[in-house]
Amino acid sequence: MELSTVRPITLLIAAMGGEGGGVLTSWIVNAARSCGLPVQATSIPGVAQRTGATTYYIEIWPEVLSVGATKPVLALAPAIGEIDILAATEYVETGRMIEAGYVTPDRTTLIASNHRVFTTHEKLAMGDGRADVAPIKKAIKERAKRAVVVDMREASSKSGAVINAVMLGAICGAGVLPITRNVFEDGIQAEGKAVEANLRGFKAGLDAATTRANSDEVTEASVAVHSALSHAISNDFPLAAHQTLIHATTRLIDYQDIAYATAYLEKLKPFAQGDQELLVSVGRNLAVRMAYEDVYRVAQVKAHPDRLMRIRKEARAQTGEPIKVREFFKPRLSEISDALPAGLGRWLQSLAERNPGLAQKSWPMLIETTSVSGYLRIRVLSGLRRIRRSTLRFKTEEQAITNWLAYVGKAMETSHKAAMQVSECSSLIKGYGDTHKRGVRSYSAIMNQLVVPAVTGDKFTDQLAADIYAARTAALADPEGKNLMAVLEGMAA
Amino acid sequence: MGAERSFAKEVQQLRAGEGEVFFGEGILAVTKGLLQSGVAYVGGYQGAPVSHLIDVLVDAEDLMTELGMHVETCASEAAAAALLGASINYPLRGAVTWKSIVGTNVAADGLSNLCSPGVMGGALIVVGEDYGEGASIIQERTLAMAMKSTIWLFDPRPDLQNIVDMVEQSFELSEASNTPVMMQLRIRSCHVQGEFIAKNNRAPKVGTKNRFTDPAVFDYDRLAHPPVTFSHEKLKVSARLPAAQRYIVEHGLNELIEGEQKSVGIIVQGGIYNILMRRLQVMGLADAFGNSKIPVLVLNVTHPLVPDQITDFCAGKNAVLMVEEGNPEFMEHQVSSLLRKADLSTKLHGKDILPAAGEYTADVLQQGLVSFFELAMPTGIHKSHIQDLVARSDDARMGGKVALGQPSPPRPPQFCTGCPERPVFSAIKIIEQETGKVHIAADIGCHAFATFEPFSMGNSILGYGMSLASAAAVAPFQERRSISIMGDGGFWHNGLTSGVVSTMLNAGDSILIIMQNGYTSATGQQFIPNSAAGRHKEPPGMDIAKTLKGLGVPWMKTIRTYSVSVMVDTLREALTTDVPGLKVIIADGECQLARQRRLRGENAGKLERGERVVTPRFGIDDEICSGDHSCIRLSGCPSLGIKDNPNPLKSDPVATIEPTCVGCGMCGEVSHAATLCPSFYQIEKVTNPGVFENMLATVRRGAIGFLGGGA
Repeated sequence: MELSTVRPITLLIAAMGGEGGGVLTSWIVNAARSCGLPVQATSIPGVAQRTGATTYYIEIWPEVLSVGATKPVLALAPAIGEIDILAATEYVETGRMIEAGYVTPDRTTLIASNHRVFTTHEKLAMGDGRADVAPIKKAIKERAKRAVVVDMREASSKSGAVINAVMLGAICGAGVLPITRNVFEDGIQAEGKAVEANLRGFKAGLDAATTRANSDEVTEASVAVHSALSHAISNDFPLAAHQTLIHATTRLIDYQDIAYATAYLEKLKPFAQGDQELLVSVGRNLAVRMAYEDVYRVAQVKAHPDRLMRIRKEARAQTGEPIKVREFFKPRLSEISDALPAGLGRWLQSLAERNPGLAQKSWPMLIETTSVSGYLRIRVLSGLRRIRRSTLRFKTEEQAITNWLAYVGKAMETSHKAAMQVSECSSLIKGYGDTHKRGVRSYSAIMNQLVVPAVTGDKFTDQLAADIYAARTAALADPEGKNLMAVLEGMAA
Repeated sequence: MGAERSFAKEVQQLRAGEGEVFFGEGILAVTKGLLQSGVAYVGGYQGAPVSHLIDVLVDAEDLMTELGMHVETCASEAAAAALLGASINYPLRGAVTWKSIVGTNVAADGLSNLCSPGVMGGALIVVGEDYGEGASIIQERTLAMAMKSTIWLFDPRPDLQNIVDMVEQSFELSEASNTPVMMQLRIRSCHVQGEFIAKNNRAPKVGTKNRFTDPAVFDYDRLAHPPVTFSHEKLKVSARLPAAQRYIVEHGLNELIEGEQKSVGIIVQGGIYNILMRRLQVMGLADAFGNSKIPVLVLNVTHPLVPDQITDFCAGKNAVLMVEEGNPEFMEHQVSSLLRKADLSTKLHGKDILPAAGEYTADVLQQGLVSFFELAMPTGIHKSHIQDLVARSDDARMGGKVALGQPSPPRPPQFCTGCPERPVFSAIKIIEQETGKVHIAADIGCHAFATFEPFSMGNSILGYGMSLASAAAVAPFQERRSISIMGDGGFWHNGLTSGVVSTMLNAGDSILIIMQNGYTSATGQQFIPNSAAGRHKEPPGMDIAKTLKGLGVPWMKTIRTYSVSVMVDTLREALTTDVPGLKVIIADGECQLARQRRLRGENAGKLERGERVVTPRFGIDDEICSGDHSCIRLSGCPSLGIKDNPNPLKSDPVATIEPTCVGCGMCGEVSHAATLCPSFYQIEKVTNPGVFENMLATVRRGAIGFLGGGA
């Protein structure tokens, strides 16, 4: 028996529910049909549709069959190693398909968008939980026969089309399907929905696939920065730290005033001639600690002159379309006492200590910053940052910063690694309310158990650096602090 | 019927006549097959992968009414099974559909009682076999249920022409053997897009326009009641089974592919045929047009098997491979027994070389075939070719994993942007920080997404509408009250009786949260008894709160789901109140997918008429965001994303609101309820503002600009 060896062209689309993968599939199916090519498509909708990762699979017979000829048996599911075109609308989904075996060097043309839509798991980390994309880039190079990798989200937002139109253009431009450009465009027109935008998106994808193929390089623009204190910085600090210190001083001037930024440089001077990596770390953390977040800072950001224009842009408000902006505040007693002059703040705190109910109390408020009175309140609060140096919180922070700098200085004498770790512990402290409280709790626990005994006993070692690192990582593992407690207990035992 | 997907355009194709080419989805083809078979009534209950079949039936209601057919959207699969009771006494053809195995389980009582007396008119049950990739339920076989109740089971080769032919044949088979028939459609078959040649639609002989003048005569043999149940059992094996087997052979329902390698053969379920043929093609043993060197017996009917057909196929062969997906391998056992009884020495392979459980994907099947050919060693198979193939597959399977070096982060489905159910779980998370963890009985529905991050909630799932019942013996042993979650779909389907009534009967002290969103949302927003508008646009008019009040539920509150603080307070009260007995919280909020679809239409109309439209959304001041992501851990909304920190001194990514935000208000509520950072703000954009509103806005912008706030 002589068996024909012609096989169908296989196309697998990896997408997320709600991205229009179904429409993309229909466009391709209809284009194949209008060319007279037998075609079959399947998908697995169900609940995977609800923003989860999902796939669509298409098989196209490459030849027009005569009337009455036996139809080919087309498969309903993709097979590993047998995909001609893999289209992925997101970078990690691209990686997932490579991992599953749907991209092979002998056969697969990979068409992918390199933008990221982060998974819940990546988003909910207490620090930076984003997946490393370098392995995906490497895997594309190794596994794809040919790759067209572009930022389709950008192309989509520029053209005003949904990402699926851009993808259709890129698939067409890749030239694997025996279907010409005008057939796809006619299909978009025949459907009659958002025709102009979809055609623009299609063209963007097509151009990307034909001209910028495999341009997965992102060049980082070098930013030239200056600061009022540039001169002082270049006089007193090594070049390696300049960029960080210029950013830091610029921010501190905005946060408070020039004197505050000058004080920052003064605090940093003892580290100027030491190890440069440590200088940058302390410089970065010190600036963040000195620009701690309080009600005055929040008010200052909310009252910023550029903010309303930015929000109008976000809301895509046209001229003649008014917007209303409402802010969600819920200060607690501690945040109020923190913002008061130290004496008054302490009195309020002692009052709260005697009335536990009061300490727990918080005042939810909605402030409309697009109303005159609402804006005025924010503006006045923002102006009050001039009294910041007298506040209870400022005194607390100053003391904590002084201690921390002393610890780092002490550690520096014997272990560079330990000094780096003590410096980096600062990043545990961030935010407001519970987040801030939790950060301070973790920070203090590490300082009290590991750092302070080392200061008194003069025992900063590389082993201690490893312990601090382990504790710091554990502190970011869960909001309840259970991991940190377990790690610290283990070290104490 | 579903608000999510309308088939109004596609159903026009259902009018296609003799010889016309019909192009569409599997479920549309099935519907066309029903119309070509002259069914008198259709019904069912939604559930993937056949949710859209219900949608199609309802969208095609006009056409069906024209033909004199009746369409019933059943309240559960049990009701759908009972619907087929019409075919016991009357020569009416009927078809129902549901998701299997779960729907078949719910329908089981009705099915047993239907099968005992048997049917006069053809009865077809189209089940969506929710098995393998994309499935959302426990993995069991419908075949087991078909076998124990004596229902014939079709598993058609997934080609639309064949599926339509088999739909027609199933009614004939049902009538020839007085037995209900099931047709199992796998997930991908339901959604496959392909074509077939249509025939004319047939009106039922007796329809809603020409009714029976009298009811059926009293005939005790048609009752599922002793003493006739004993004779029914015997009839099933003595009369109905042989009749069915005769029909299957005479009408060629199973297909034989003659191959030149007569020493071996493969018996395959119709549903797996396409995967098998592609594997044989890749191995150089078949072409793309269904010609094979290896003989293949394709079973479009997997129950009953026809003994002679099996033994004839196996006779003279050294070895036969049984390709049977699912566990247990009922068919393989039968074939084995047939071979033994016929005293055939043909070696039978099956689950010894193919996996006992799990989907038979291309890769799995190929590995099984390679083993089979190694064992059976037929002539004409090039060993080197097979070895190359194995090496290529090994590279495909492992190469990507090695190149990537790390597993990809999982991306399970989750609550949609602005979903009204999400804030309820945020509230539970907040109250649990105060009271400690509570036992949570989860249920079937979108709310089961709370089992994924960031909520990771739910101790058990026992079936649709079964959460409260599943907590009945948990609650008495817990210090804190347990919480059962139930959707309104599940409430009407089963939860009302097995949950609420049963708990009330036993004075059970626990908490039930009912997600009242107005649809069975997970399956595509089909209408339910408390929907604001039903399939005929009129509201069905049933109300959960009124129903529960009527039952005398001692403690009940209806809370708008987005009011997180109120929900937290309500939960605290429910957990601590002295009121004994069942405490019900109705969490009220329309399915956001449905709501957005409705609003899009309404707003487009308003904009066209120049009327005022308010567009809400949220924003985040990224300078204020702490990068701790507490808000994300309490929400997980897809439009609450992360981006690089704008502050070069900080490395943690900050939260950001994606343009997909629908402004549901949850972010603001959560930051108040949980005392999060003050970075969230709510924006309301007004298009076509009123004259006064516009003036006020201008004045305000002027004043704020003067105060230094920009403009």
